[in-house]
Amino acid sequence: MAFTPVKDKYRSKVGEVTLGATREQGGTRAYTITVGGEATLPFLHFEGEIPNRPVVALEVWDVAPADWNPCFEPFYGDVYNNPAAWAKKCVEEFGADLVVLRLRGADPDVKDASPEDCAKVVKDVLAAVGCPLVVLGCGKAEKDNQIMPAVAEAAAGENLLLGVAEQENYKSLTAACMVHKHNIIAQSPIDINICKQLNILITEMNLPPNRIVIDPTIAALGYGLEYGYSIMERARNGALGGDSMLAMPMIGNVGYEVWRVKEANASAAEYPGWGEQEARGILWEATTAMALLQAGMDIVVMRHPKAAGLIKQNIDELMVKTSYEG
Amino acid sequence: MKTPTVLFFPDNVAVQVEPGTSLLTAASMAGIELKSNCGGGGTCGRCLVRVKDGRIRNISAGKIAAKARQAGLLLACQALVEGNVVVEIPRDSRLDEHVVLLGEKEILAEQDEELSGDYPFHPLCRQVQLTVSEPTLTGNASDLSRLETALRRELDCGKIHISLPLLRSLAEVLRRGDWKVTVTVAQLDGCADIVRLEPGHASQKSLGLAVDIGTTTVVLYLVDLLTGITLGKKGTYNKQARYGDDVISRIIHATERKGGLQDLHQAVINTVNQLISELFAQSQVSGEDVHMVLVAGNTTMTHLFLGLTPKYIRLEPYIPLVSAAPPVRAAELGLSVNPTAFVACFPSVASYVGGDIVSGTLLTNMAKSEKVTLFIDIGTNGEMVLGNRDWLVAAACSAGPAFEGGGITFGMRAMKGAIERVQIDPETFEVTVSTIGNMKPMGICGSGLIDCLAKLHEAGVIDRAGKLQTDIDTPRMRKGDDGFEFVLVFGDLTECGKDIVLTGSDIKNLLRAKGAIYAGIRCLLRAVQLEQEAIEKVIIAGGFGNFINIRDAVNIGLLPDLPAGKYSFIGNSSVKGARLALLSQEAYREAQNLGNSMTYLELSAGNEFMDEFVSALFLPHTDLSLFPTVAAKK
Repeated sequence: MAFTPVKDKYRSKVGEVTLGATREQGGTRAYTITVGGEATLPFLHFEGEIPNRPVVALEVWDVAPADWNPCFEPFYGDVYNNPAAWAKKCVEEFGADLVVLRLRGADPDVKDASPEDCAKVVKDVLAAVGCPLVVLGCGKAEKDNQIMPAVAEAAAGENLLLGVAEQENYKSLTAACMVHKHNIIAQSPIDINICKQLNILITEMNLPPNRIVIDPTIAALGYGLEYGYSIMERARNGALGGDSMLAMPMIGNVGYEVWRVKEANASAAEYPGWGEQEARGILWEATTAMALLQAGMDIVVMRHPKAAGLIKQNIDELMVKTSYEG
Repeated sequence: MKTPTVLFFPDNVAVQVEPGTSLLTAASMAGIELKSNCGGGGTCGRCLVRVKDGRIRNISAGKIAAKARQAGLLLACQALVEGNVVVEIPRDSRLDEHVVLLGEKEILAEQDEELSGDYPFHPLCRQVQLTVSEPTLTGNASDLSRLETALRRELDCGKIHISLPLLRSLAEVLRRGDWKVTVTVAQLDGCADIVRLEPGHASQKSLGLAVDIGTTTVVLYLVDLLTGITLGKKGTYNKQARYGDDVISRIIHATERKGGLQDLHQAVINTVNQLISELFAQSQVSGEDVHMVLVAGNTTMTHLFLGLTPKYIRLEPYIPLVSAAPPVRAAELGLSVNPTAFVACFPSVASYVGGDIVSGTLLTNMAKSEKVTLFIDIGTNGEMVLGNRDWLVAAACSAGPAFEGGGITFGMRAMKGAIERVQIDPETFEVTVSTIGNMKPMGICGSGLIDCLAKLHEAGVIDRAGKLQTDIDTPRMRKGDDGFEFVLVFGDLTECGKDIVLTGSDIKNLLRAKGAIYAGIRCLLRAVQLEQEAIEKVIIAGGFGNFINIRDAVNIGLLPDLPAGKYSFIGNSSVKGARLALLSQEAYREAQNLGNSMTYLELSAGNEFMDEFVSALFLPHTDLSLFPTVAAKK
């Protein structure tokens, strides 16, 4: 007897967000990337359309990261002090679909880089790579409210993805995205309601929903991965069920979270039973990312080039259309 | 040591108290009620008094505002009498005469006739003038038998009861009236109780009292049972307030303090007796003529009124001692009416859906209507009933006392001087307020708070999450002791001279209160699998102000987004339902049935309420599709 798969019908689908702008579109990018648009749960190709594949980003900092594991030295050591070259390497050598530039140096406790310095780094990186760019602030709201408008202005036309807007601090970034036509990352603390509230607050300032990417906040494997996972599931089910204020693509800082945990960093000397550190860290990062892909993540921000490679391969495999018919 | 005397100004009242008595208790003994939301715990900072002379000992400074301390004020609950003391009580500290909802004031017209029209006038007390057959040597039935026979000819009744004192008087009463006698009969549960006997055929008064015992307020209606006319209405604070603001703190006081149950029982009896004496003086009637008292209160209040322990209401699985208490005699409770008068309490549905809701449901007539009706009583708890003549579900959500002013910096009950309406200019952020009694503003009551939330959001002072927009250009937005706050009225225009503000945490409290009520409504709807559009009628009751602005209440997401025509506001439904039952035996019986026929939905079971609650912590809601007209306005 023929097997008939049970198909769910959904009322709606995830909205699409396009990042980057080519010359014709008023920017300087070699290509644009569109994420989202899923009309079914992750990778259920037989059930609904998945028009865009999830993308893999690599993380670049504007200052040499003092606390990264030494295992990154061989990959990024030569470009730690040159964000533009670092970004180029990520794209050309490690195959990143796009680059996430974290303006860590703007933190008053790090380098206290000025808005102008930050804008310049962004311009440099844009000049060095042809991929769409994501720019994150330093994480201190007051400072970010100074640098992000400058970044947005300097990169007007490039259709960046800027982050992060939070419930307690969304207005200035939203305004900057409105004026200079960028996209925004709306970050909520593993809370579906705040996620939704923030999207409403942002759209109420007239930034259209197709310019918002949700950062639901995720955690590394063993550190509450399942909380982020279930929030993402709920958001995606909400989106498919017709809730337009949850129907945005999702981004997650996998590399950032994973490389903070002991399991990724502790040496084999310290824990002989755990095996070699770098391989372990790569697998930890890739495993976390794989799980989150299954929850619907659209932009996976990785750190280790080898983990990124594994995830790209994983996405390739997941994007092969499954068909139970004929 | 001589018993110290405490003299209170400006009242000029002196009381003698034991050394070590707090000034709060002393004031209460002097008949002066002070504001005390925390029940004398020293934490609410409201029972401020000034000691003009004499010796007191402070247990602790308590939580008192710096300004108040500088002005020489201290907390009455923390000050113990050591010797003779002279105390001045500022007006702000006083529990003013309360504007308790007595009806006739709501913006939405009251519809008493329509609401209760189905019940015939058939009061719980009847008066019949009998002519009893004279006894003879052959017709030698006893006096009582002959009275019963005559009574049965007039009344359709089962058993006839008579109390011993009346029985003792019977022989002479019959003969003094030459076998003509006027009998007043109370009819509860099919029995006839003779409550009064008078010789002859002179018409006697027969009065009833409808009583609403709320956690916060107590309201009495004095009703003429022979004509159905309401002779007078009175309301005041529940004197239990000094033992805490909400039922939980009262239960704790009743069960954990020595004599606590007696304190609370006596406090509410005193409250009712005070209202009785005021009403009688006003209406020039005598307590002897009152033969029936019907009491509607939440489950805890009913327990405390009867002197029953509410202990297990608070403890899982939340079991009340009684849900339908048998009627008792007034003398057993010490009510100052005819000692043989019956005192009956409305049955409750569950520990947190009480007789007040049964009474309200009776009044709305929803249990006889085809229309799916939602009845919400916004009190210290938000209780609600959904249904029609075929089914009824009830739930209670702990909305907290925010809409009664609790937990809000300048919140107050609906008293004179309470801000009840607010206008905010979206350009200049100038605020216009109107107060109850058109007095200088003292604080904000429930209807004012609903208005505030709606208008603050409309004017862009807060965002949908309730966050104050600190970048707006007005001196009204400023940093206070508890973070940012918005000044509604500057001190030069207020009664107390202090600026009346709404703080960020006040707004969060209001969001939680309105979120809880809306979440309760959603859970009820979901339990019966209905969409909110299926609600054909919404009836709001409560004492949070003199009116409710339905539009504002919908805009903030307190009430479901339904056409205004579906709404009505009936004020204090509890006392009105009690009046209805006094005047109709059918209504009284229906109330007994209602207690049994409502299905109680326990919201604390499962996660659904919590999910709904969190989604509702937004203006109006995170699901805008539930508020189409609010969404469209945007």
